[in-house]
Amino acid sequence: MSQLTVDSTATWEAELEGRIPRRLREEIEIFETQIAQKRQGRIDDKVFAETRLRRGVYGQRYDNGQRHDGTASRALEYPCGDLTKGPNTVWDAPGMLRIKIPFGAMNGEQMEVLADLAEEYSDGIAHVTTRQDIQLHFIHIDDTPDIMRRLAAVGITTQEACGNSVRNVTACPLAGVCRDEPFDVSPYAHAMTHFLLGHRDAQDFGRKFKIAFSGCEQHACGLANMHDLGVLAQVRTTGNGTKSTERGFKVFVGGGLGPVPHQAKVLREFVREDELLPLAQAVCRVFGRLGEKRNRARARIKFLVAKLGIEEFTRLVDEELAVLPVDDRWTAYLDHLDVADEHPTRPGAALEPGPRPEGFAEWLGTNVQRQRQPGYVTAAVNLPLGDLTSTQLRALADTARRFNGGLVRNTVEQNVVLRNIGEADLPDLYAELRAAGLGAPGASSLVDVTSCPGTDTCKLGISSSRGLAGELRKRIADSIRTAGVLADEAVKDLRIKVSGCFNSCGQHHVADIGFYGVSRKSDGRTMPHFQVILGGQWTENAGSYGLAVVAVPSKRIPEVVERIAGLYVAEREKGESFQSFIARVGKARIRQLLDDLTKLPTYLEDRTLYSDWGDPREYTLGDLGVGECAGEVVTAVEFGLSAAEREVFQGLLELDRGDAGTAASRAYAAMVQAARALITTENIDIGNEPDEIVGEFRTRFYDTELFFDPYAGAKFANYLFRIHGDAETDSGEEAHRRIEEAQLFIEAAHACNQRISELQAAGSLRRAV
Amino acid sequence: MNATSATGLDDLVKLDLKVLASSESAAAPEEFIPVFHRWITERVLPELLIDVADYSHVHEGPGVLLVGHDAIYAYDESRGEPGLLYSRRRETAPETAGIRTLDERLESLLLCAFRACDQIEAEPQLDGRVAFDRHRIELRVNDRLVPRDDETASALGEALRRALAEAGVADDRGPVGVQRIGEARDRLTLRTG
Repeated sequence: MSQLTVDSTATWEAELEGRIPRRLREEIEIFETQIAQKRQGRIDDKVFAETRLRRGVYGQRYDNGQRHDGTASRALEYPCGDLTKGPNTVWDAPGMLRIKIPFGAMNGEQMEVLADLAEEYSDGIAHVTTRQDIQLHFIHIDDTPDIMRRLAAVGITTQEACGNSVRNVTACPLAGVCRDEPFDVSPYAHAMTHFLLGHRDAQDFGRKFKIAFSGCEQHACGLANMHDLGVLAQVRTTGNGTKSTERGFKVFVGGGLGPVPHQAKVLREFVREDELLPLAQAVCRVFGRLGEKRNRARARIKFLVAKLGIEEFTRLVDEELAVLPVDDRWTAYLDHLDVADEHPTRPGAALEPGPRPEGFAEWLGTNVQRQRQPGYVTAAVNLPLGDLTSTQLRALADTARRFNGGLVRNTVEQNVVLRNIGEADLPDLYAELRAAGLGAPGASSLVDVTSCPGTDTCKLGISSSRGLAGELRKRIADSIRTAGVLADEAVKDLRIKVSGCFNSCGQHHVADIGFYGVSRKSDGRTMPHFQVILGGQWTENAGSYGLAVVAVPSKRIPEVVERIAGLYVAEREKGESFQSFIARVGKARIRQLLDDLTKLPTYLEDRTLYSDWGDPREYTLGDLGVGECAGEVVTAVEFGLSAAEREVFQGLLELDRGDAGTAASRAYAAMVQAARALITTENIDIGNEPDEIVGEFRTRFYDTELFFDPYAGAKFANYLFRIHGDAETDSGEEAHRRIEEAQLFIEAAHACNQRISELQAAGSLRRAV
Repeated sequence: MNATSATGLDDLVKLDLKVLASSESAAAPEEFIPVFHRWITERVLPELLIDVADYSHVHEGPGVLLVGHDAIYAYDESRGEPGLLYSRRRETAPETAGIRTLDERLESLLLCAFRACDQIEAEPQLDGRVAFDRHRIELRVNDRLVPRDDETASALGEALRRALAEAGVADDRGPVGVQRIGEARDRLTLRTG
C-alpha cells in the first residue's frame, strides 16, 4: 500500500513564487483582498462590480439567480444566500473571464496554460472573441485569483479586460507579414498596451475605450474606422529633396459600433512614431475630463467627438499635449521595436508537386495567403464559432512549435492564424491540423460566420446568435457541398455576422449580411427574431455601416440568406460588388423579397418559430398570460408600432435616394409614432401633435421608467428627446444615425409593450383605459 | 484506516469521471439539449442545475453540457469516445456535504455518474439508443497542483478499484484493472478495463 503524501495545502501562489511580475502579483493580491472584503460586506456592491470588471471578471446569464424554463421563471438557489458580486449578481453564479491577448499574439506556453485553465476551471473550451481576446465561461469568482496567477506567470493579464478602461489593443493579425502594409504595427500595439495599462490618465472614463492598429487602409484586418482610437500605419518622405522616409500613423478617433455606429474622424493625418503615445495619452485625458459619466448610453468617446465636433476635440487634445509632463516611455520603446518580431524557423522552400492529403486543395484555396516574405505563407485555422477545446489548443501549440517556433495570432473573425509557414510545409501542416479537427476550409468566407455569445451566456442577449451562426455554418457548408446557390463564386467571400442584441458585439454593422436579435409578439406569445442588416462594408477597415431592413423570425433566417445571396447571384452586373448591388436594387426590393417570411403563424400553426435555435424552451421573456382585453390593446399597440416601422423604413429609402433631410424627418416621425402607440395603452384619446405626444410619453413612460431598458436604462427614450424640437438636418451622417436610433426606439417600444402586458397579466399595472 | 487518509488525496475535490458509451450507442450530442433542459426544469438530479451549453460543433469536444453549481455533466466526445462525463468542481449539495475521504468521494462520484447514466438510458426522447458500459471508466484529477507521479497514480488507482468493487463493478476475472493513460502534461488520468 502506498505511503504517498500529497501536500494538500499546496497553492498556486506558492507554486508560482518568483515567476509572476511584481506589479501583476500585487494587482492580484489586491483583488484577492477585495474578494475577502466583499465576502465580509466591507465593499459596496457597485464598487466591487467595477473592481472585478477591471480584472476581466464578467457576469454571465442567469447570474441574477433566475432562470426561465419556458413556462415560468424559477429561482436558482445558489448556496451563497444573499452574497452578491455586484448589483443583482449572485456570488456563486458562474461568470465569464475575459483574458486580454494584445494584438492576438500567443506563444506555445501561453496556449498550454490557457488549455489547462479551460479544463480545470471552465468547460474545456477556449473562446476567441471578435477583439482577439480569449474568454472562459462558467468560472466561479473564487477561482479567479489563481487563474490570474497562472496567466501572469506566462505574461498574460486580465487587468482592464472589462469595465471602463482601455480594453485589449487589437491589430491586424497579418501585421509583419502582410504584403500591403508599410511596416509592422505589432511593436507599436505592444507599446500602446503597456503604456496605457493601469495609466493614471486612463482610469476615469465613463465607458470603455477600444484601440486598434491597422497596417493598411484597404483591408479590414484592423478595423480602424470603428474604434475609439484607430491607428493606421503610414510612411512619408521627409522632404529636403532626399528620398528618406519616416514612419508614422494616421490617427482616427470617435468610431464605434454599439447600438448606433459612428464612423471615426481623422484626428491627425500623420503623427510621427515618437508622437503616438503622448497623443493617445492626451486623448485619454480629454475623454476622462469631458466624457459623459452619468448617462452610460452616451458615455463612449464617439458621443463626445460628435458633440464637440472634431475641430474642437482636436484643439482640446492639442491643449493637453502642450501641458503633458514628458514621459520617457513615449520614446523608450522605439529602441526595442523588435519586441514582437517573429522569424521563420524552417526554410521557405516552394510547394512542390506531389501527393496531397484529402481536402488539401480546398483548404489551400481559402485558408492560406502569401506573405511578403518570399516562400512563406500564413495559414488560418477556421474555428467554428470561435471555439476550440483544450486538447486542440495544445495540439495547436505543438503544431506551431514544429512549423514556426510556436506563435499564433487570434483574429477579429474568431480564428487563429499561423504565420511564417514555409510553403513546402503546407501539406504536413494541414495534415496535423486536420488530425486535430482544425483543418476546416473556408476561413474568412461565407461559411465562416462570426457571432457574439448571445443568449448562450450573455446577460443582454435577446436571440440566440450562436445558435443561428451554427445553423448557418451547417446550411452553407451543405449548400457548398451540393453545389447549391451558396456555392457560387460570387458569394464565396461575403461575410455574415450575428449579434444577439443591438449592441453589436458580433459586429453586424460591418458585415455584408448582418443580423441582430430582437423579439416580436405574436398570438399572445413572444417570438425570437433577427433584424436583417444590409449595406455594411467589411473592407477598407470597416468602411461603411449597414442599416436594418426588416425583422424576420429566427428560424427563417437561413432562408433569408439563401434568398438574398440567390438574388445577387442571379441579378448582379458584371464586376458589381455586393454593396453596390444592394444599393442599386434598393432596400424596398429586398424587403419585398423577404415579405412573406415576416408573416407570423399562430402558435398552433407552427410552434417551432416560438423557440430559438439550439434551445427547446418556448421563447418568452416572462411568464405571460395575456387576457382578451389586454390582447386587444396589444393588437392596437402593435398596429401603431408596425406603422412606425414602416415610417422608419421609408426614411431608409429616402436615405438611399440621398435625401438626408427627409430621411431624418421620417426617423423622427417614426419615433413619435411609436411613442404614440404606447401612449394609447393608457390614453386612447391622445392626439397627433408631437409636443403633446412627447410630453405624455415623458410623463407616462419616462418618468415612470416603464420605457427603460433593463440594461440600457433611459438610452432609447433620450433618442426621441434629443431630436424633438430639433428634427431638421441635412447631414447624411446624422440622418443615418437617426434612422438607427429610430429603429432602436421602436425595438424598445416593442419591449416596453411586452413588459406592460406582463405587468397587466400579473395584475400589477392598471388596465388600459 | 482507509488507504488514503495519510496521503492528502482525501482533500482532492476536483475529479472527473467519465463512463464510456457502449459501442452500439447511436445518439447525436444535439439530442441531449432538450433532455438536459428538461432535467433542469424538472429538477431531475438532487443538486442545483443552471444551464445547458452546446459545443457539438467542436471536434471531439465536450459535446453538450449540463452545467450545475457543484458539477458539470456532459455527453462528452473527447478522444472520439462518447460517454457521460461527470466533472465535480465543489461539494455544497447536501448529498456530498459530509464527504471526508477519497474513498467516500469516489463512491459518491460513481453514484452521481451512474445515476445520470441510468437516467439517460431511460430517457424516452432517446429511445434507448444510448447505453453505457460501466466497466469502462476514466478517472481524471482535474487539479494540476496534485503531483502527476506514479505514486499518486497508484494510490488513486487502488482507491478507484475499491470504489468500483463497492459499487458492484467487477469483471468476470475479478477486480477491474486500472491503468494510467495520457501524456506527462495531461491531467493525471486512469482508465479501467
